[in-house]
Amino acid sequence: MDVKISTTDKIVTIAVEGSIDSNTAGDLQSKIMDKVAESQNVLLDFSKVDFVSSAGLRVLLMIYRQIKSKNGKVVLVGVSEEIYDVMSMTGFVNFFEITDTIENALKTL
Amino acid sequence: MENDTESKKFKATLDSLSSIREYVTEQASKAGIDKNRIYKLCLAVDEIATNIINYGYLRSGIKNAHVQAIITKNAKHFSVVLEDTAPPFNPFERELPNDEELNKPLEERPIGGLGIMLAKDSVDEFRYEYKNSTNRNIFRINICNEDT
Repeated sequence: MDVKISTTDKIVTIAVEGSIDSNTAGDLQSKIMDKVAESQNVLLDFSKVDFVSSAGLRVLLMIYRQIKSKNGKVVLVGVSEEIYDVMSMTGFVNFFEITDTIENALKTL
Repeated sequence: MENDTESKKFKATLDSLSSIREYVTEQASKAGIDKNRIYKLCLAVDEIATNIINYGYLRSGIKNAHVQAIITKNAKHFSVVLEDTAPPFNPFERELPNDEELNKPLEERPIGGLGIMLAKDSVDEFRYEYKNSTNRNIFRINICNEDT
């Protein structure tokens, strides 16, 4: 799993590549949570994410809680149909904005 | 019914998770199962394999352990059995989140049990048995032949 982070004034963009499972979720968390703590909004680019397990959902939950406490927004981009299903089965889908392109994501922030 | 079976042994470490998923994907693709159902099967297997590795072996202090994935195919079903020799661990004895908890705002939600819930909801049948000092987690998906 690879992570690319870029920051602007109020948005941190986190592009993840690969699988977010119990083996990689801890690594993802340690790479991003400092940046999330410093930012008002988070744009998560999942267009190169091929698998998310409950360990990945736990990272999403941590991001959500951090950003929600600042009244910010978490927007997801490029979520595959399968990952969307997992988020739907667990009720996560209701708490995140999900868009198909980064341009559209930026418009909501 | 004729059964076609094969198996592969994996080290019981978290970095085996991706190899286990790859193995299941490869076998399920050969059986003609569609992408979405393969993903869900991998999810179920991944969640339970994680529990076996983390709770079954690691917490019990068992080292150099393995998880065996056994694939069985026939005309009606595609099954994956995960076998491990950790102390008995029945995933169905874990408390799962109920509907009320799943509808709570994310900031108030407990996160435990989500993996097992996903495992149960992602396959047509998920069973557990303990036989010959072995935990057996059995995942089955029905093969739908849309032409018939």
